[in-house]
Amino acid sequence: MAPLRRRRHSKPDRLVTRRTARWLDSRLGAAKFARSALGKVFPDHWSFLIGELALYSFVVLLATGVYLTFFFSPSQEEVIYTGSYEPLQGVEMTEAYRSALDLSFDVRAGLVMRQIHHWAALLFLAAIVVHLMRVFFTGAFRRPRELNWMIGVTLLILGIFNGFAGYSLLDDQLSGTGLRIAYSIALSIPVAGTWVASLLFGGEFPGPDIISRLYVIHILLAPAAIIALLGAHLGLVVRQKHTQFGGGERREDNVVGERVWPSFAFKSIGLMLITAAVLSAMGGLAQINPVWLYGPFDPAEVSAASQPDWYMGWLDGALRVWPAWEIRAFGFEVPAPFFPAVLLAGLTFAALFAWPFLEARRTGDRAEHHLLDRPRDRPVRTALGVATLAFYTVLTLSASTDVTATTFGLSVNAVLWAFRILCLVAPPVAGWIAYRLCRDLVDREVARGETVPKPVPPPRRTRDRPRPDPRPTPAD
Amino acid sequence: MTLRRLRHPALLVPVLAAALFLVLGAGSAAQEEDPPGRPGGDLVAQGRELFVVGCSSCHGLDGEGVRAPDGADRGPSLEDSGEAAAYYYLTTGRMPLASSEEIPQRKEPAYEPHEIAALVAYVGTLGDGPDVPDVDAATGDLSLGGELFRDNCQACHSATGAGGALSYGRAAPSLGQATPTQVGAAMRIGPGQMPVFGRDALDDAEVDAIARYVRYLEDPDDRGGIALGRLGPIPEGFLVWVLGMGLLLLVSYVIGKRSYHRRKAEAG
Amino acid sequence: MTTTEGRRDEAGDAPEVRPEQARQGERLTAVAFAVSILGAVGLAVVFSTGGQPQLEGILLALALGGLGVGLVVWARYFMPHGPAIEERKPLESSEEDIAAFTTQFEQGEHVLARRGLLVKMAGAAVAALAAALVFPIRSLGPRPGRGFKGTPFRAGVRLVDEANRPIRADEVAVDGLLTAFPEDHTDAADAPTLLIRPGRSRSDDGAAGAETSDRTSEAAELLAYSKLCTHLGCPVGLYQAPEHLLLCPCHQSTFDVLDDARPVFGPATRALPSLPIRIDDEGFVVATGDFEAPTGPGFWDRGR
Repeated sequence: MAPLRRRRHSKPDRLVTRRTARWLDSRLGAAKFARSALGKVFPDHWSFLIGELALYSFVVLLATGVYLTFFFSPSQEEVIYTGSYEPLQGVEMTEAYRSALDLSFDVRAGLVMRQIHHWAALLFLAAIVVHLMRVFFTGAFRRPRELNWMIGVTLLILGIFNGFAGYSLLDDQLSGTGLRIAYSIALSIPVAGTWVASLLFGGEFPGPDIISRLYVIHILLAPAAIIALLGAHLGLVVRQKHTQFGGGERREDNVVGERVWPSFAFKSIGLMLITAAVLSAMGGLAQINPVWLYGPFDPAEVSAASQPDWYMGWLDGALRVWPAWEIRAFGFEVPAPFFPAVLLAGLTFAALFAWPFLEARRTGDRAEHHLLDRPRDRPVRTALGVATLAFYTVLTLSASTDVTATTFGLSVNAVLWAFRILCLVAPPVAGWIAYRLCRDLVDREVARGETVPKPVPPPRRTRDRPRPDPRPTPAD
Repeated sequence: MTLRRLRHPALLVPVLAAALFLVLGAGSAAQEEDPPGRPGGDLVAQGRELFVVGCSSCHGLDGEGVRAPDGADRGPSLEDSGEAAAYYYLTTGRMPLASSEEIPQRKEPAYEPHEIAALVAYVGTLGDGPDVPDVDAATGDLSLGGELFRDNCQACHSATGAGGALSYGRAAPSLGQATPTQVGAAMRIGPGQMPVFGRDALDDAEVDAIARYVRYLEDPDDRGGIALGRLGPIPEGFLVWVLGMGLLLLVSYVIGKRSYHRRKAEAG
Repeated sequence: MTTTEGRRDEAGDAPEVRPEQARQGERLTAVAFAVSILGAVGLAVVFSTGGQPQLEGILLALALGGLGVGLVVWARYFMPHGPAIEERKPLESSEEDIAAFTTQFEQGEHVLARRGLLVKMAGAAVAALAAALVFPIRSLGPRPGRGFKGTPFRAGVRLVDEANRPIRADEVAVDGLLTAFPEDHTDAADAPTLLIRPGRSRSDDGAAGAETSDRTSEAAELLAYSKLCTHLGCPVGLYQAPEHLLLCPCHQSTFDVLDDARPVFGPATRALPSLPIRIDDEGFVVATGDFEAPTGPGFWDRGR
């Protein structure tokens, strides 16, 4: 066998990085690809970093979560606590709750990791929601990005679900109450409810297996799905390139900004570290979910002021404001919780998934868009978005009726009625205000003679179905 | 308490230490309580004088209760209230009230300790209500107290003793200022909206245990940091939106805003 | 325009940094990294001496934050800021590519004479496999049976407290309440029961007071209701003694104890089921049957 001829020049580079790169390239031939990856242009508007906040919260979740799995034990076996937290000495509890206590009191850095993990979960979902708002109000979900919008909505659902699963693992009084409500909601599903609840929980509540099942979901299935979808989400961004606001040199057929390497990569890694730093500071300084004060779960007990984490607040709030209405006929019934919990959640996510298509259908605008809308140029969409946001904000706040009542010395009944009314009144009012605001802003620009970027740029080459009669462009 | 928790106090950088102690130590000062005076003839006579002046307009000259002309209760009979009720209502400042419509709430006591002792003694002579319980929180079993607290008290007062809402404008108060004797007295008499927990349900040792746990909850182990009122996920959610999201959006703005050179290039 | 674009695309503007600015940038970056190093060292010390959550959080934040700020400052001062411009090529493939793909994908197709049948068979096979796989899922939980509708309470079962100690009727004070369970089943999640002895109404002496006075005998005065909210099953633990109201802390459903525990406020639609009880010769509270209706939240065939 003839020795392979050395293709490369002989003198090795002195820089270790270069030598490593060359070693890799001789096996992967990746230089060309890497060059184009480093040269990718990232728009330099700050709002494009919100999605990164979610991504980096997730990185923190993974890092802290892995540490927690070394010590957490998802078992419902009954044990007697003998750890270092005195007020629970000798108390009967499950192994899961005991290991959560041990994590908080006896494992080095356990508590700080637990708290960072929990704060990161709250931040992860907050960042997803803000990112979703940014994408919605600027119309970044339009063709060709409908798929990525749907992946994003799926990530939101997975995030909410996995957050709830994590909150439920510790088997303290609060998490047990949450699980009981989840069980009862499953039970409320017409026809299949008892089966669904029984299969999920392994029997009647509390069920022998629910903690270990949630654990597998929480640390394996859901994170794997999130990682896969995150990969697809980012991959599509690379493939389709970023959107950008119009103006200056920014046009439909280019992307203007910073290259990934080196400037943007440095800033982005910096942002990741700063996100982790903010979460560390919160995890160290602000106490979250002090399960040792809540005590072990007992199905006969409950504490005043039992609430879910904020991202479940809209569902809990809906359960509170929904009146005592249910359907009963021929001995069968659709219990009241079905409507505000199962139906509302289903409709919410179905509407989110379908939105890009609904809007395209309504406006007849099926062209590709890479330039973002200014919210004011799309008053109807903006008003609808603001109204929806107002609705879910009121629902979320409704989850705090009891805490609001005690904090401000009000009657919990009066507070609940106020929220019931707000649910109906706030969305149209907020939507109308948003609509007027958009119109006035644009009118003022026109009056001042400022050049208003055209809301709908001429559609790009679209080979398929050239529409003979496009409906009069946008409804607004 | 705080010192014991920090395993290595020597590590504390002075500034941090000050901040931490402020945070962890806040609101820990438990009230010293006055032992209720033993009833004696003299004390009862004093008590009656004070009662006639301060209480009889609603509770009647002999504590028999007063009914307004329209039949509504202006003040209930105190015949079976006992010393415990008098002690509880007076030491927590819930009585006297300005009007019978007012909902009793914790205030500074209106009477001096010796006056309270006299009133308690007098009310005790009106009927056969419960005595002021002899609560010894120090000998209570802390973890038993925790279990009993979660069984019987947390539904209204919340697991952290922060209090909670009841229906129609009523509320279960925070237990942060309650003294062991007040806790014991409240359980025996069921003041306001609270149910009664008699000796048959919870014996004296169990009351001691609960009082010990309530005292612990005044300054519990907040080793996680600032306690956020111990109100659960709602303040946590607010903090993550206002502080966490707020701060990081600001950071994103600073990092992501177009640099000076870039803006100049665009303008020019 | 195109020429400037081309130039920028190649290079990206290196920031024009004046020497004093450069020094400032270097200083800032160095300080940030130094903070990070100190944070990390501090963290190591704290961990090695046992740990303290607040210090750990702060030091970790300094270590990570210092590094992050350092990188950002570095990038802002010393790295090219663009504007770089990238052309956007059409996403759609060309007709030729699509045609080539179609040919590649559909090759071999022509030899299949009965394509429709085979595709249907393949689909049926996949569906059959999927249906077969449903059955193992059945093992996840038992068939929902009578358990959803009944509790361990039977005629003659004594009511006990958390510690399985039988409850005597006189343990429940006037205006007091106790949580009870069926004997030997204190962990039955569907059976927690509230024993309440409502007192004469303190707030109004009207109708409510009159109603209680009907229940003069010891046994009648003692009421037993399921503790589980009929909305979502939270324990209805908040008893407002003078108002005779039970409040659920989860969603604020409110039940009137003197009116058969019917809901008076909130999302609950049904009364708390009551448990028939009697007092036995020794004074213990004994059930005379199961709850009058299934306890806890509603479900599809609850009424069947």
